Amino acid sequence: MLEALLLLPLIGSGLVFAFRNSNSKYLAVGIAFVQMFLTFYMLSLFNNVPTVDSPLQFEIIKPWSSYIKSTLHFGVDGMSMLLLLLTNILVPLIILSSFNENKKYNNNFYALILLMQFGLVGVFTALDGLLFYVFWEVTLIPIWFIAGLWGDEEKRIKVTTKFFVYTFVGSLFMFIGLIYVYNHAASFELTDLYNANLNEVQQVVVFWLIFLAFAVKLPIFPLHNWQPDTYTFSPTQGTMLLSGIMLKMAIYGVLRYLLPIAPTALLGTSGQVVMILSILGVVYGALIAIVHHDIKKIIAYSSLSHVGLMVAGIFASAILTAQGNFTFEGAQGALVQTFAHGINVVGLFYCADILIKQFKTRDIRQMGGYAKAAPKFATLFMILLLGSMGVPLTNGFIGEFILLKSIFDYDKVVVVFAGLTIILAAVYLLRMYGKTMFGTGDERVVNTLKDISNVEFVVLASLAVVVIVLGVFPSGVLEMVNSSLKFIYSSIKG
Amino acid sequence: MSVLVVLFLTAVLALFSGVYNQGKFARYIGILGLLVALCVSFSPELAFFNQYKSMFDFNENAALFTKISLVVTLLIFFLGGFAFNNHRSHQSELYSLMLFSLIGAVILFSFTNLVTLFLGIEILSIPLYVMAGSNKTDLRSNEASIKYFLMGAFATGFLLFGIALIYGSTGSFDVHVINTFSVANPKDLMFVMGIMLMLVAMAFKVSLAPFHMWSPDVYQGAPSLITAFMASVVKIAAFFAFFKVMNLAFAGSIKEWINILGVLVIITLLLANAMGLAQTNAKRMLAYSSVSHAGYLGLIFFGANSLSVYNLAFYLFAYSLATVGVFMTLIWVEKLKRETSFEAFKGLAKSEPLLAVVTAVSLLSMAGIPLTAGFVAKFNIFAQAMNGAAFLVLIAVIGSALSIAYYLKLIISMFFHTETTFKSSEKVSITYNIIAVFIIVAILAIGIYPDLFKVQFGL
Repeated sequence: MLEALLLLPLIGSGLVFAFRNSNSKYLAVGIAFVQMFLTFYMLSLFNNVPTVDSPLQFEIIKPWSSYIKSTLHFGVDGMSMLLLLLTNILVPLIILSSFNENKKYNNNFYALILLMQFGLVGVFTALDGLLFYVFWEVTLIPIWFIAGLWGDEEKRIKVTTKFFVYTFVGSLFMFIGLIYVYNHAASFELTDLYNANLNEVQQVVVFWLIFLAFAVKLPIFPLHNWQPDTYTFSPTQGTMLLSGIMLKMAIYGVLRYLLPIAPTALLGTSGQVVMILSILGVVYGALIAIVHHDIKKIIAYSSLSHVGLMVAGIFASAILTAQGNFTFEGAQGALVQTFAHGINVVGLFYCADILIKQFKTRDIRQMGGYAKAAPKFATLFMILLLGSMGVPLTNGFIGEFILLKSIFDYDKVVVVFAGLTIILAAVYLLRMYGKTMFGTGDERVVNTLKDISNVEFVVLASLAVVVIVLGVFPSGVLEMVNSSLKFIYSSIKG
Repeated sequence: MSVLVVLFLTAVLALFSGVYNQGKFARYIGILGLLVALCVSFSPELAFFNQYKSMFDFNENAALFTKISLVVTLLIFFLGGFAFNNHRSHQSELYSLMLFSLIGAVILFSFTNLVTLFLGIEILSIPLYVMAGSNKTDLRSNEASIKYFLMGAFATGFLLFGIALIYGSTGSFDVHVINTFSVANPKDLMFVMGIMLMLVAMAFKVSLAPFHMWSPDVYQGAPSLITAFMASVVKIAAFFAFFKVMNLAFAGSIKEWINILGVLVIITLLLANAMGLAQTNAKRMLAYSSVSHAGYLGLIFFGANSLSVYNLAFYLFAYSLATVGVFMTLIWVEKLKRETSFEAFKGLAKSEPLLAVVTAVSLLSMAGIPLTAGFVAKFNIFAQAMNGAAFLVLIAVIGSALSIAYYLKLIISMFFHTETTFKSSEKVSITYNIIAVFIIVAILAIGIYPDLFKVQFGL
């Protein structure tokens, strides 16, 4: 089962590379939908409440090398399942969203997206340190080519180089961090990495080495420099992949690798520093988003702000657990929010892309009056926006609520700043909506505006449906991640 | 030693093909000879050669490195047809000189005596001095030759002086005797002086900073195919000899030289990568990249264990494959454009996608991106050096981080510029396409399944 999920995108990518034809996009989207239905089928087989200690299912273990103590070990638990769902629901929609582009996307574009999907599925299912690192880097090359080849004509080279160097440098530090643990554990097997018996100083060093990679990818406040530019100047599909799925790799990595490998580091200043940085990111991102006029930058900074909150929640619970008060609420909230944010941010970037194409500018001051011309779009945009703001009965609400609750348990002062995210998000998102959708707008431009096409409607509507369904019935997701988080957080407790 | 005999006969035959005006066959003779030598290297050594064991011992490790260099030389010979097609007059000399140089390499793989080491280094180097200047009408090529020769002669002086001091203190040239001495008297002053002088000479040969000054000029001036040979086969030979002499003969005094080597490695990693960033010429960039790889390879001395030789072989093979992959494109671009700046590569992906892909894969392998051979190679070395020299690994990672920026520059030139500067009438030959596919497959296959390397070379 899992073999099929892993191999299908890889083989599909090879096929699409070979299929030099303008119809290659149909092949690509077909493969992506098959992958999506396979994932649903897997979900139906997935046991939410496993009885044994280890929550792994669909395991694959194959030997790989005779002298490197690493195996091809894949498996799925609740956390992996959630992120697999996110990946495999979003990728077909992302491919579909490119169908209306005027720009000529050829088969290579779609092949690279599928290759990226292969890497992502690998990251979310690998249970071996080296394997995780390999897939982690495998995702980088396709997205770099996507952003570099089809990005903004003037800026793409500079921006993509910055993006690549930033992330690669971060990953290299994680690489030596993992090697360091490997040398102590004598194996890359996940459970061996967890029990590597590092002393406190070693754990702090390893913590920062590994965290650096995740901090760049998320991004955490002082390392976010690459993000707004890359999000702005990549093709929309690249931005969706980056913000919707790729940054979730880092959330997943923090939970799966960082916390259980270096739990003692949380007790010292390291954990607090991360808390402070992520809360800084929450406020900073939101404030910058309020003053920007570039619609893509607003969404990019809002993403920075949301991600900060997720990390803060994860660490709040982790620090509490390490101190002896066992709780994993924050991580639960973060994972729900991960899923929700993936859906919302992809939708928002798609809306932004449609607006940019209609108004031929990224500046929201020069937009206006689109609601009259496009009632369908206005509705769907609003739903996604509400989801992003965390209004009750949308998918953003429950995650943000649990996150704030867990931060509240951690510290009553910190939560004041963290709570700003909800207020400030409403400010910049509603401002964005108001400026673009209402008002009179420029007469000459307004007359040329058209409502969205069928493909665009299908993509946005499916996202909007997920927003509402998840907002009304969040318990499925909470239940799904329960057992795996209990397992991870109990290994923090030691 | 049978490999040596086969190679020698091939080299002489290739040389004489030129004397009788049949120089165009020299390449085919060379390829045939190399193939025979490759077959021979897989068979066990004849018992007859056992009597040379005190000077020349073609053991398992030597066989492994010989196989690697033979494969890489074969690839370079295949590229030679196009690279040297305007060298009609003295092709045979170039091929036979390359073979003679390879003989020096094989001697270096199997020395058990400092005299053999010296002979090997000279046989390896002297043909190189000539080959570097083989573009007789090009000033830069002449400069490269003279520069390499003068500096090389100087390094040889150091080497000889070092050997003399070691002989003076130990009374023997035999590495095993020297090893026994170094274990017994690790701090003997004259002995340590000898080690230092030899360290300098070997650092020069493998181009560790600050003894790397010659390499950018020589690499840039020499004909590209010769540069490829220098960057791959010569590096393999010199580095294994370096590793062997330090680890086999001077193991007892390791405390005396390991820190100095560590400093050289740090300087190399930082300096070469920083200089690489500043280059605008692809060939010169590759020269600095080659210097920086000597730095990564230098980590092999730290935390050395029984797997070290294997790790070294793996790294050198991965690196050499990537070098040939990049240089084949460089040769092609240089022929068409008469220059090798990054500008010259613009739009290559449009006109010659296969060449562009092989270059990209090779560069990513050099940078150590997963799924390429270079990643596994770096992993092996880092994991080994992490035991005891974690700081150096950190420096190496910073070096890697710098290096990715200049490798990306070349990839960006090839892929991200839509307007092509190449004429559609000029197409690359079928040989180049086959070699390109071979290199791509080899780099990815070894990167995905590292045990393949073990199986292929009969370990």
